[in-house]
Amino acid sequence: MKRVKTVADLENLRTQAVAGRDAREAWLEVCTGSGCRACGAEALADALDGEIEKRRLGDTIGVRRTGCHGFCEGAPLVVIQPSDACCLKVQPKDAAAIIDRLGAGEGPVTDLLYLDEETGGRIARLQEIPFYKHQERVLLEDNVRIDATSIMDYIAIGGYGALAKALSGMTPESVLQEVKAAKLRGRGGGGFPAGRKWETTRNAPGEPKYVIVNADEGDPGAFMDGSLLQGNPHSVLEGLILGAYAIGAAEGFLYVRQEYPLALRSARIAIEQAREYGLLGRNILGSGFSFDVTIHRGAGAFVSGESSALMSAIEGHVGEPRPKYVHTSEKGVWGKPSCLNNVETWATVPRIIQKGADWFRGLGTEGSKGTKIFSLVGKVKNTGLVEVPMGTPLRDIIFKIGGGVPDGKSFKAVQTGGPSGGVIPETLLDLPVDFDELTRAGSMMGSGGMIVMDENTCMVDTARYYTNFLAHESCGKCVPCREGTRQMLRILDDIASGKGREGDLEILEELAEFMQVASLCALGQSAPNPVVSTLKYFRGEYEEHIRQGRCRAGVCTALIAYDISQEKCRSCGACQRSCPAGAVHKSETDVFTIVQEKCIKCGACFRACPEKFGAVVKVPADAIRHEAAEEFALAGTRE
Amino acid sequence: MDTRKMTTIGPGASPPLDVLIMDDDAASAAACRRTLEEDGYCVAVAGDGRQGLQAAESDGPSVVLLDLGIPGVTGFEALARLAEPGSATIPIVMTGDGTVDCAVECMRLGAHDFLMKPVDPEKLLDSVRRGVDLSTLRRQADAPRAKQDLLLQGLDFLGEAYSLGMEKRQLLDELASLEKEAKHRADGLGRTGGKERAIAGIREDLLKADAIMRKYGFRKDALIQTLLDIQETFHWLPRHILGWVSGRLHIPLREIHGIANFYEAFSLEPRGRHSFQVCTGTACHVRGASELLTRVSAALGLQPGQTDSRLTYTLETVHCLGCCALAPVIQVDSEYYRDPDRSRLDTIIKTMQKETQA
Repeated sequence: MKRVKTVADLENLRTQAVAGRDAREAWLEVCTGSGCRACGAEALADALDGEIEKRRLGDTIGVRRTGCHGFCEGAPLVVIQPSDACCLKVQPKDAAAIIDRLGAGEGPVTDLLYLDEETGGRIARLQEIPFYKHQERVLLEDNVRIDATSIMDYIAIGGYGALAKALSGMTPESVLQEVKAAKLRGRGGGGFPAGRKWETTRNAPGEPKYVIVNADEGDPGAFMDGSLLQGNPHSVLEGLILGAYAIGAAEGFLYVRQEYPLALRSARIAIEQAREYGLLGRNILGSGFSFDVTIHRGAGAFVSGESSALMSAIEGHVGEPRPKYVHTSEKGVWGKPSCLNNVETWATVPRIIQKGADWFRGLGTEGSKGTKIFSLVGKVKNTGLVEVPMGTPLRDIIFKIGGGVPDGKSFKAVQTGGPSGGVIPETLLDLPVDFDELTRAGSMMGSGGMIVMDENTCMVDTARYYTNFLAHESCGKCVPCREGTRQMLRILDDIASGKGREGDLEILEELAEFMQVASLCALGQSAPNPVVSTLKYFRGEYEEHIRQGRCRAGVCTALIAYDISQEKCRSCGACQRSCPAGAVHKSETDVFTIVQEKCIKCGACFRACPEKFGAVVKVPADAIRHEAAEEFALAGTRE
Repeated sequence: MDTRKMTTIGPGASPPLDVLIMDDDAASAAACRRTLEEDGYCVAVAGDGRQGLQAAESDGPSVVLLDLGIPGVTGFEALARLAEPGSATIPIVMTGDGTVDCAVECMRLGAHDFLMKPVDPEKLLDSVRRGVDLSTLRRQADAPRAKQDLLLQGLDFLGEAYSLGMEKRQLLDELASLEKEAKHRADGLGRTGGKERAIAGIREDLLKADAIMRKYGFRKDALIQTLLDIQETFHWLPRHILGWVSGRLHIPLREIHGIANFYEAFSLEPRGRHSFQVCTGTACHVRGASELLTRVSAALGLQPGQTDSRLTYTLETVHCLGCCALAPVIQVDSEYYRDPDRSRLDTIIKTMQKETQA
């Protein structure tokens, strides 16, 4: 019988789990996060298994399919234990060599190790790779060490230890006090103190009470919650059970967006296993405390990440927000007190209970404690998931960890906080990242999306992108948000297509102010942020679009055209083959030209033209009439 | 039995009878009658089976609303008689017995629709409207010149389409969808012999829907989860299933449509067996998602949101797939691809075509 009835049972099980892991001499930890999967991690793991079997090394070497390791740029990624050697961009054909060397007790294949561009040398240990060296991975480190579908893996690394500690020696009040003392703030975006929220629900009249995990990570460009839930679902569950114990809830919900099938699968398996082992259900660890969780899939609506809308969806209704003069922590699901936190917040709780509030307070800044996971993506060399203590300067994250902007381009801005956030220009790069500093700079922490933008990113287009997203996702219940986003989008569309007028920017600002004050929920109140912050820091770019009809980044398609330099063209025909519109023709002189009337400006020819020729160029739309179009080549063209 | 209306309408009398309600529950019959009359239908009520059948024969109503529990005859017998081949009267069943077997038996006997009691007014109107349309169609089809007229109408349409400069490809697509619709109608008219097959299909669909609802204990608050499973099973939310769900869970169809429209995950139109989802998240956007979308769109010959006429592929955009670090990404069914070029896309599409043929 697997059922764990007491704390002693759990400790016995842990001994078994550890012994099971130690029985093998080496482990290959293959990342099977969504990023590595896209690069063929499944086939790689199968190939490794095959090679091990072929050599009958199954008793000494094991393959562990783990969650996201974070360094997606190196995908697919394999870490060899116990040496901690990190192999990058591993292909199935490399499997034989990896197993051969491991079986012979030799070091890892050198070509697969991280190449340090400065020294030209290879770095083997994961901890020494610059991307990892400057991080402090409290939550993410376990992703590398466990197979998410195995509760024994989680137990082996100390999992459910915090729960055992709380249920055997702490009252619900003291669990709550510990979280309050840790000054944990909600990681979902608002940064509301989690302990205070818990307390409100605990003290609110009405039974039953509910606890809810918000895994409806709707911010485009953020994927840490999905990766955490996929890679380490039990840590989220353990946090939730601890919260339920502190608050006095017997039932919980896990709200996962259905666009995350992998996270959903992990969560389902984890809940089943936890039930099987008696860590969910009646009388958990013999404490008399009972609790269970139901999964609710989100059906694809950004606004459903808002607490009242999410709870409405759990009830089976359309996920629209309601006015919150009474907080959901007091009246939430079916009018009962309901405490909602996001994935990262819940996953932090077991660490706080295990290591104590003092430890947690030792990390981070005065106002924001602990570490935070960011999804560092966009125009940055080392894309991936990054975890750092609160207060780490943006410059460290983007340049030390992220390795800066690739291809010799220059940094323009970093966008944080998703559609509710804003852009931060280079002048503010030394800003320490925490809840309050980012808000002060006109952006926000949000759930942790960090999208780096370079000279080829247009700020008008960025604002338009987010406004389009929000106009589409506005539920339409309140007028300021529904109409405001729509009008803003119309103006931005005009500006991006060269039809902007003097006075447009002032109207945008006016609309922004109105929406911030009058919208019903946070979606509408923060919807103008992308426009406001780009206007604040990059007004010049807007004015160029309006007054000169120019997009310096070469992004706004109405303002650019593609052309082929007659001198540089070597007639290879790559552009013609790539053109989906049949707009590239061969001229009498055997070089290629673009028929502008047919061109749909998809940029396929621009990408197809071999770099050494660089014959296809982006030019301002009005320059195409001139003969020497290259003279007008924009920043977006190749050197 | 309400004789007032019955006596005023005889053969050849005007206006013609649209709906005959055969129900012995006076309150329920009166409610249905009010709803239908407010919408402009001419309605009569019969509270007894034999009299009802007589009236149906002599007055030739377009639609008969039949309560299966009506006294005087057995419900199924009455239904069989009303649904005689060649009749222009369309029977619609009302009952409190919501089992799949009962529904299927009714469909098998020729019921046009199946309404659960108490009848939702909106559903009633919708069902009657379609019944009356079908009845009109049958009457027209019986006319001797009807066939020729229909063909001429078709030619007119083609001529008009050409004169409007419709391209051949577009026209073919249009014709394909018309053909689908035509088959659907022909099934309704009972002239293709595909009816039994269609009924068997519907039975299977309803049983699948029931299994899904059972999984959630037929709970109203599990509606979104139920619909997600239905979407996953059928790749869209077929109309007849939504009607069934509405009756089983006692949720107005209007509310179900509200939810289906609100959430991105649901489709009220058929989708292809394979889905191409181009991520338009911010990370993908700044790294060329729109170029990728143009490329995929060209490779499939579809605009975002479209499905090809053979229901093989659907092209969609999604907000974020959570593969931001590898941007731009596309998800094809359950596989992820990082910025695939045209030849890679063509390979994926060709593999699917081969599978379909096999």
